[in-house]
Amino acid sequence: MDSKNFIIGPDDPILVTGATGFIGPKLVESLLRHGFRNLRLFVRPSSDATRLEAVAGQYQDGARVEVINGNLLSEEDCITATRGVAVIFHLATSGDKSFAGAFMNSVVTTRNLLESSLHHTRLRRFVNISSFAVYSNTNKSRWKPLDETSPLETHAASSGDAYRFAKVKQDEIVTEYGEKFGIPYVIVRPGSVYGPGKESITGRVGIDSFGIFLHMGGSNLIPFTYIDNCAEAIVLAGVKAGVEKEIFNVVDDDLISSRRFLSLYKRNVRRFSSIYVPHLVSYALCSLWEKYSIWSRGQLPPAFNRRRWHAEWKSTRYSNQKLKTRLGWAPKVPMREGLVRYFESCRERRHA
Amino acid sequence: MLKVALVGCGKIADDHASQIKKLKGCEIVGVCDREPLMARQLYERFPVRRYFSDLSQLLHEARPDVVHVTTPPQSHFQIARTCLEHGANVYVEKPFTLNTKDAQTLVALAEERGLRLTAGHDDQFSPVARRMRTLINSGYLGGDPVHMESYFCYDLSDPAYARALLNDKRHWVRRLPGKLLQNIISHGVARIAEFLPTDAPRVIAHGFVSPFLGNMGEEELIDELRVIICGEKRTTAYFTFSSQMRPLLHQFRIYGPQNGVVVDQDQETLIKLRGQKYKSYLEKFAPPVGFALQFLGNLTTNVKGFMGRDLHMKSGMQCLIESFYNSIVQNTPPPIPYREIVLTARIMDAIFEQLDARQSLQVRDSRILGVMPLQAHLQEN
Repeated sequence: MDSKNFIIGPDDPILVTGATGFIGPKLVESLLRHGFRNLRLFVRPSSDATRLEAVAGQYQDGARVEVINGNLLSEEDCITATRGVAVIFHLATSGDKSFAGAFMNSVVTTRNLLESSLHHTRLRRFVNISSFAVYSNTNKSRWKPLDETSPLETHAASSGDAYRFAKVKQDEIVTEYGEKFGIPYVIVRPGSVYGPGKESITGRVGIDSFGIFLHMGGSNLIPFTYIDNCAEAIVLAGVKAGVEKEIFNVVDDDLISSRRFLSLYKRNVRRFSSIYVPHLVSYALCSLWEKYSIWSRGQLPPAFNRRRWHAEWKSTRYSNQKLKTRLGWAPKVPMREGLVRYFESCRERRHA
Repeated sequence: MLKVALVGCGKIADDHASQIKKLKGCEIVGVCDREPLMARQLYERFPVRRYFSDLSQLLHEARPDVVHVTTPPQSHFQIARTCLEHGANVYVEKPFTLNTKDAQTLVALAEERGLRLTAGHDDQFSPVARRMRTLINSGYLGGDPVHMESYFCYDLSDPAYARALLNDKRHWVRRLPGKLLQNIISHGVARIAEFLPTDAPRVIAHGFVSPFLGNMGEEELIDELRVIICGEKRTTAYFTFSSQMRPLLHQFRIYGPQNGVVVDQDQETLIKLRGQKYKSYLEKFAPPVGFALQFLGNLTTNVKGFMGRDLHMKSGMQCLIESFYNSIVQNTPPPIPYREIVLTARIMDAIFEQLDARQSLQVRDSRILGVMPLQAHLQEN
């Protein structure tokens, strides 16, 4: 890798929030492997730092890895965390199912981090980790690939998905601070990140909310990105010169269909019953659920609706062209190998 | 048109806004949170006229008739008092206040100003709770209650949630006088307070840290509580709070001199307990048939409610809000008598005082003895 194109040197301090999450430890590992030796990892007091400690322990030679416990809702903690850093990788997000909770732990925390960054002048990049959930996909033709220019969800609140709403608003506030205060930001939107450490099946394949697994994806391609590949893309988005205010979608090459994934999962991890719900039927059911939810004035929450169907279960093609051309990214772990590692981890977890 | 405002735009505010939206004759003229982003997100998702980050500005500019206080409990008293002083009626989420004195001050202020006040004890207004109230008011128990049992459980089995609370020593729940219990138990205690024919009950509380939390290194947060409450007229009650027992009950049992009633909040079932026994072997056969028919009746009621769009998870809150607004518009008594609000606070105060005293004593003993950790003491006592 050509480090001359980097905006920071190996000793410049880097802050990683959400460092104990699924992507966090892998991002830290990737940064250390690239030779960045001054990392500050921000973790919640309630986090389980086992994976992170294991990663940091492997790269002790000359590297300074500082772990800070705190809460991004605390302005004081944010000022401490951002002091003197050159790059911020903002991975922290919320798993809260409520709109207010998700918003508070995604948007208010991001605002605090951006605000505290204004106190320090050394910041050269703020990498905001977003999600494919922010794309609308409603009016897009199924033959047009989903890429960075695709329209964003404008009715996130009515999608019934607190995470989607929070992520849309998080992106908005990052852009706003970039425009108003000149914070040099980059937005990274990973697809479905998979790999060891996350054994659940993405909702794009199907759901098991009703006691049996409903296979919704069918022949749809799933926008998978293996965790190592995703971490590599995030690192590049944080350190490559000349990509300020850019957005990067992260998906791997050789994507497989939902049906193929489910079949491999059953063969390699565990057998279970599933029912395939054809697209026409799933769309009709989502539409029906949405209408009933409105008619019954919320007796059933709008968990299933047409917006969700478009976002998660509509047949869509994906592009990683921008990632490759602008950042020079290439997936180091091919899909085939990624799946082997993932299934192995699932099996180990099951037998643990 | 009743002008409504919400102060505090966190999770529970969503429930309030959703219920208010369904009611006729009212509109939300403002929402307020000291974090402007939180106020704005609520404003963007609901039909709300304006959003504020300053309470005084909200009261002066939006001039609400009613304010819902949905902030963390530490600020309930101050905000409610300010709203009453500005001439607004106030709905305060549970727990009403942090202590009885504050509850009495608010009640006195509301009465002095001719305003209405209510507490967020919405469980008591769910369809099944209303059915129970009607039944009891019709004299089904045959007199004052002899005994009551209120179960209120809380699921702490999700390690992620438990860790969030346990590892964060700055968590606002820890700063409440009654900690975790104060934030949760008022629903279960208020059920007893409603039917307790005394204002000064004797309270005997026993609480401890469950082995589940203990094994996670927690020594401070009590999540298992048993309480005996005795009224002057010999009415007694048991209150049980548990994070560990299964099933996780939200149940109320009330026994009179003639009959009893069991209400299950989660299942929305009301079962009448006939006081009179059947003769001989009939007692083995007739009651099970009777119970089966009663459960079938409950099923029919719930299905009818669901089909008729009337079995919402927050039906109780909607009914309480509507009743509260009606009491303001029609100048009738508020849906929850003030006596009941203050009595709930008094019972909770007594519980926390005893738990505090015992915990302090045990800390002292463990320091003197130097052999037995606090956790062991709490479990053994």
